[in-house]
Amino acid sequence: MRPFLTPKGVIGIGLVALFAGVAIAAPFLVPADYATRINILERLQPPSFQHLFGTDQLGRALLWRVMLGAHTSLVIAVAAVVLSIVIGLPIGLAAGYYGRWIDQVLMRIVETLLSFPALVLALTISAVLGPSQNNTILAIGIAFSPYLARIVRGETLRVSALPYIEAARSQGATDRRIILLHVLPNIMAPLIVQATISVAFAILAEAALSFLGLGTQPPTPSWGLMIQSARDYLDLAPWTALVPGFAIAGTVLGLNILGDVLRDVLDPSMALTG
Amino acid sequence: MSYLGRRILLFLVTLLLITATTFLITNVLPGDAAIMILGTRSNPVTLAALRVKLGLDQPLVAQYWHWISHLLHGNLGDSLVFKEPIAELLGQKIVASSLLVVMSLLLALIMAVPLGVWSALHRERWQDVAGSGLALAGISLPDFFWGIVLILLFARWLDWLPSSGYASPLDNFPAALKYSLLPAITLALSLMAHLMRMTRSAMLEVLSQDFIRVCRAKGLGQGAIVVRHALRNAITPVLTVAGLQIGYLFGSIVVVESLFNYTGMGWLTYQALLNRDLPLIQATVLMIAAVVMLTNLAVDVIYTIVDPRVRLS
Repeated sequence: MRPFLTPKGVIGIGLVALFAGVAIAAPFLVPADYATRINILERLQPPSFQHLFGTDQLGRALLWRVMLGAHTSLVIAVAAVVLSIVIGLPIGLAAGYYGRWIDQVLMRIVETLLSFPALVLALTISAVLGPSQNNTILAIGIAFSPYLARIVRGETLRVSALPYIEAARSQGATDRRIILLHVLPNIMAPLIVQATISVAFAILAEAALSFLGLGTQPPTPSWGLMIQSARDYLDLAPWTALVPGFAIAGTVLGLNILGDVLRDVLDPSMALTG
Repeated sequence: MSYLGRRILLFLVTLLLITATTFLITNVLPGDAAIMILGTRSNPVTLAALRVKLGLDQPLVAQYWHWISHLLHGNLGDSLVFKEPIAELLGQKIVASSLLVVMSLLLALIMAVPLGVWSALHRERWQDVAGSGLALAGISLPDFFWGIVLILLFARWLDWLPSSGYASPLDNFPAALKYSLLPAITLALSLMAHLMRMTRSAMLEVLSQDFIRVCRAKGLGQGAIVVRHALRNAITPVLTVAGLQIGYLFGSIVVVESLFNYTGMGWLTYQALLNRDLPLIQATVLMIAAVVMLTNLAVDVIYTIVDPRVRLS
């Protein structure tokens, strides 16, 4: 096993820990009305000691809003990825383990869904259901599930061909037992790596959906929404776009680095060329 | 059956499944077209009348049959918002988006390939770390954020390029380039990271092979080895990935075209979704999925021509 705490690993873990810490603590730290209180006298104030990250067009402090935005991002992204695993994992396991016509039918469905760019699929589902926080989770979760199913299928195929699976079968183990006890634990490593990277993509997808008005709805603070409303004040107050922009960048960068590091640690064969 | 024949048959099956999926997503999920158009608090009588007009009182299978038979005749119906035949709308918009997609692919390759080669040649030294860092930053920022930064920089402060609008390349090519440059750079920046990493790993693999050592042994210079021998072998997977990224690009154009008011397929899709224009949603989403599938098929076919080994396996 490769060491975890390389400089790269420290940066990745640090950024993700910062994001997760802020996201979890924000609802307790930020008094409820601080982030939504409108104060026209202090609108579009540049960053200062009084307003660390400046204020937006309604005089709301960006520091509080970006912290609560982290909470929104974390909740939606993690829930969406969990949903995509709940849908994609059984499909991928069944297709990869049973093979034959089950694989053919399931993979045709997965490939059909993969023809829709994930963002287009998520936007469509969200528009049809009507935008809300829960529907955003549903939309991103469904849109990401075929990618997960495909990866799980590939790994299941690889593991199912190994001698110890045949050994288990020759001892009379049932399919269910083999899948749960022998296949699943051995595909966990790529699954964890994929889940980490998926959270990064889900954060970007949530931001894009909210930016287009088909995700999180105001007044709930969301990074995508913050950038959307900053568009009209770019000349006057560029920080209103830069603050949420850097929040997204830092978080997604951290998750991508963490995904890279996890892959190096959990799956050394990938590290040689990657 | 030949490899190509099998691929095309599979393509047709998937295409049929795509139409069914598009139809299902827009019909089975709660909230039907009539409610989408009139809103949840509308008069039940008006709602019922609109349902009859749109054919929503028919069974789902009949509706699907009606839709697909019109589709095969090239009749996509009229847009509820634009009050125009959808087929005509799509025709204009696909030209706009094709220009954008081709430009951004080219720009991404121009940036990614030299950077990837550079990183591979300086493996695990500071140049490699810097290159990989740049690539990671590229994928970590949402494309609409890059777009805003570019608008701020090149349209507002420097005033070199327009921040929004569109000109048809068929009417005025220089103007079309001017309008599409900023959105194309925006798309290229998020695409570049992936291609750069692909170039880097493909180059590393090729550089470790024996024939490269032979080249060195016979005294070829570094430039000749890299360009004529290594890159030539490494470029195929990179171009394949670039081709497959067209699908990803068609997702991104919804955001980027809307940001720049560039009236292409992505912009049209967004207008359809925002206005709950159901026939237009179905048509644009179907069109995007079909384009993605078609490019994937094309990449596959070209790949078998370039590298015949694929057909054997």
